[in-house]
Amino acid sequence: MSILDEGFRAPGGTSRNRPHGNMAVLRIAILVAFVVLGARLAKMQIVDGAEYAQRSRENHIVQKNILPTRGLITDRNGEPLVENVGVYSAQILPQLLPEKETDRYQIYLKIQSLLGVSPVETKARVDDAIAAGKDYIAITVANNLPKEKALALDEASVDMPGVSLAITPGREYIGGEEFSHILGYIGPQFAEDAARLKGQNYQLNEPIGKDGLEKQYESDLRGTAGFTAVEQDAYGRQIQALQSRDPVPGNSLKLAIDAGLQKYIGELLQDSLPDTTGVWGDATVAAAVVMDPFTGEILAMNSVPTYDNNIWAESKDRSDELDRLVHDEKTHTLLNKALSAAAPGSTFKLVTASAGLEEGNVTANTTRYIPKTLEFKGENGELYPLEDWRQHGTISLIDAIAWSSNIYMFEIAGGLPQERIPGLGKDPETSAVILASWARNFGFGQPTGIDLEGEASGRIPTPDWKRRIFSGPEFNPSDREWFIADTYFTAIGQGSVLATPLQVTRMTAAIANGGKLVTPHIVDSVIAPDGTTVRKIETSYRDVGLKKSTIDTVRQGMWGSVNYGAGARANIPQAVVAGKTGTAEFFKPDGTKSQHAWFTGYAPFDNPEVVVTVYFDIGVGGDKAAPTAAKILEYYFDHVKR
Amino acid sequence: MSSVTYGYGGSARTSASVWRGWDRFDYVMVATALALVAVGLVLIYSGSLSFYEGPLASFQSPVFKQVIFACIGIAGMLAVSKFDYHYLTHYAWVLYGIGCVSLVAILAIGQTAFGSTRWFDLGPIQVQPSEFAKLATILALARYFSEHGGDAREVRSLLISLVIVAPVAGLVFVEPDLGTSIVFFAIWLGIVVVAGVKTSHLIVMGAIFIAVFPFLWTFAIADYQVERVSVLVDSNEDALGAGYNVNQSKIAVGSGEWLGKGFTNGDQTQLGYLKVATKDFIFSLLSEEFGFAGCMVVFGLFILLLMRGVRAAQIAGDTAGQLVAVGIVMLILMQTFINVAVNLSIFPVTGVPLPFISQGGSSLVSLFISLGILQSIVMRHRAYRQT
Repeated sequence: MSILDEGFRAPGGTSRNRPHGNMAVLRIAILVAFVVLGARLAKMQIVDGAEYAQRSRENHIVQKNILPTRGLITDRNGEPLVENVGVYSAQILPQLLPEKETDRYQIYLKIQSLLGVSPVETKARVDDAIAAGKDYIAITVANNLPKEKALALDEASVDMPGVSLAITPGREYIGGEEFSHILGYIGPQFAEDAARLKGQNYQLNEPIGKDGLEKQYESDLRGTAGFTAVEQDAYGRQIQALQSRDPVPGNSLKLAIDAGLQKYIGELLQDSLPDTTGVWGDATVAAAVVMDPFTGEILAMNSVPTYDNNIWAESKDRSDELDRLVHDEKTHTLLNKALSAAAPGSTFKLVTASAGLEEGNVTANTTRYIPKTLEFKGENGELYPLEDWRQHGTISLIDAIAWSSNIYMFEIAGGLPQERIPGLGKDPETSAVILASWARNFGFGQPTGIDLEGEASGRIPTPDWKRRIFSGPEFNPSDREWFIADTYFTAIGQGSVLATPLQVTRMTAAIANGGKLVTPHIVDSVIAPDGTTVRKIETSYRDVGLKKSTIDTVRQGMWGSVNYGAGARANIPQAVVAGKTGTAEFFKPDGTKSQHAWFTGYAPFDNPEVVVTVYFDIGVGGDKAAPTAAKILEYYFDHVKR
Repeated sequence: MSSVTYGYGGSARTSASVWRGWDRFDYVMVATALALVAVGLVLIYSGSLSFYEGPLASFQSPVFKQVIFACIGIAGMLAVSKFDYHYLTHYAWVLYGIGCVSLVAILAIGQTAFGSTRWFDLGPIQVQPSEFAKLATILALARYFSEHGGDAREVRSLLISLVIVAPVAGLVFVEPDLGTSIVFFAIWLGIVVVAGVKTSHLIVMGAIFIAVFPFLWTFAIADYQVERVSVLVDSNEDALGAGYNVNQSKIAVGSGEWLGKGFTNGDQTQLGYLKVATKDFIFSLLSEEFGFAGCMVVFGLFILLLMRGVRAAQIAGDTAGQLVAVGIVMLILMQTFINVAVNLSIFPVTGVPLPFISQGGSSLVSLFISLGILQSIVMRHRAYRQT
């Protein structure tokens, strides 16, 4: 007997019983267990299998995007106005930080010594991100690092898991502050736009144009992002490259702007701000537009004061400066004054004169005696004095333009009932409507359609407009009434009339080019990276609807203004200039009376090449704007090669 | 004792006894187990590619080591099957005592050194005392019920059986090893059901358990480290990345779809996203590379193996043999169930290997020894047939 067989004899006798267990329960338990597992497996592998397969691919195939090079911007002669630069920033990916808090703090301290960022702040931001469950999104701890700091960080980041140097595309604006309003700037996407931009295949770290041409031509400048798809293991090692597509650089913009002219005007306007007459005080803002009257190409467009648009990229380091700029209530520097509306004053008389000639209530040879003051009987029978700025004597329409007579223009627009001089219409209201419709024909009261955002529409008042504006219960019924004085003030570009320097330029261009209202454009053409032209910005225009005789008469008036009249200081030796001054009275916020200075004109008189408009918020048109325009035209004829 | 296949005419009685009983040996059961081991070797090979690059025939190779352990296990199984299981039930209390002491010892070492280790590190080999304790507990329960009328109809014997299983399950639980302590209770449940427990008793005990469970839970958390326990319960709280593993294993399993990505082609496994792919998460590897079809084949093998175990219990010659067989079936069933359930994310991550397939010597050897005990029961069922 061996222990190997059934040889065991228990001490104290047997205790063996007959087995009586029911095995069915056990068999069922086994089958149930595997059915449960099988069902779960079927759900995961067969029902949800495709989704898991997708997740598996996403797991190990890492697509890295390569941002495209943004298109450049040059002036009409190819002078570069922007440069692409790398923007260095320090990033932390909380997911990759060490587990232990003490180890993490060592990293935060190292960041402090490298970049000067407080470890408390870094810790707070990391902890917030982890608490929000967003530890897989990189946090930017420091932006716009100087190159030497960036290099130091890049070197040190080898020993700092989770910390890395990020390089994103940036822009440096090298053309000078004179271009800030035109070019705008680029910057990171705002959170609220991110979803929309994602739909347009934007990468999260891809900057977008925020203002100016950078925004307007974003789709041209942006280019197409490329990518590399890499198989990556669980430890972040790249196993193999699967696929890649090179990024396509953005298209470049060639502007119609002449950089030299733009810079010259910028400095000129800045230098011309101070008052030389001692009467009205210094101008605070100024604007100028130089345009080709036939094509609508903007050769220069300035707004003064200006600012350095590189400030947006350096916002962290220049936050005080930026803060002042954004909250600048005095000159609203960020606003492009060439696209902002102000009372156009006497420059608007070109519209009134054209309207009168077209409606036929005045001709080129209609002469009237224009006193310094005209007693005028209002609707209520009372007498009001109508003031002109000088004693004109008996003058024709051409002289009225040249000498910028107010009363002559009053009579064209609204007539003079007491002397039975007819206005544009049968009564002041109709006259005002007719004048407004001519103003709209000249492009007033609506955006010009220039390729820049933020353009003001300006305003041309009508009786309907007045009724609507003063319809509130806080106004008296008489506030809503349209008086003949309203028609008069509109006729000389005052009262409620508002126009932008660009609109005024367009009006002058229409006179210069024979009656076509062109759409201004800053960009001349979009150029592909290989140098071929993708598209040229075509000139578009509509007809103002002026007879040739009307245009000739108005031109003569403008010639007279510069050659013997109110705008004589716009005269230059290089070419014969025709123009119109404007001095628009307005009330400053403090209630004192002041006036805007305008000049708009074109040259040469016989063969128009260029239109120029100059605006100062404070000053007299003939004294301040006209000589400035003369300098611009001199520069143009001496230096700008077309 | 009538059938002697390899007899030598009675001239050598001792050597004849070595060759006796093999006609009753359950070859189907062993073949099934070997098939599972073979599946395991294939999977271990695939799963170790990312960290082992040496030759296959090397003591460093995980596949080779597994083959060695399988050989040791098979030798152990053959030896044990020739060994009368009554020796084991006779010394069940001694074995049970050793099991308890070793669990206390590991707990002591664990607390001072590793916190949650379940192993004794004996130089080149590691020994997992809970593997031994499982078998010892099965033997103790079988011994107890076979000596008390062979059933669990009385409340008293039911409670005493619970007292037998509670200390080992408790010791394992505080290791902590939730999975294994559940395996202990499943073994107990299987044995008392076969031993004839009254349904009403079970229901009452179940109700009491549910009632005191919150209290026990609070108590456990109060006494032992909070994080460690909660990690077992909620894998999302795992600081060491069990949550990550759960996620990756889900992706691995699901992405296998019908037929899998193919041998050594599972990117979850090969690119290192799936951790412990040759051990606790080997089922995910199976699912990823061989798909639903491969899993069904393995399920089929497990069902066949377990049914052969049930057969052993069915034909066992006496109560002790039957209950031991039931305990072993429950042991293999529950380990398989829990491991696969963890892989399919329907059970918190816990260190239960997949029987016969997962890489690991302790488990493999002790499983083969369990099969040896089953064989011992099968081979002697006629000799001990009670009438």
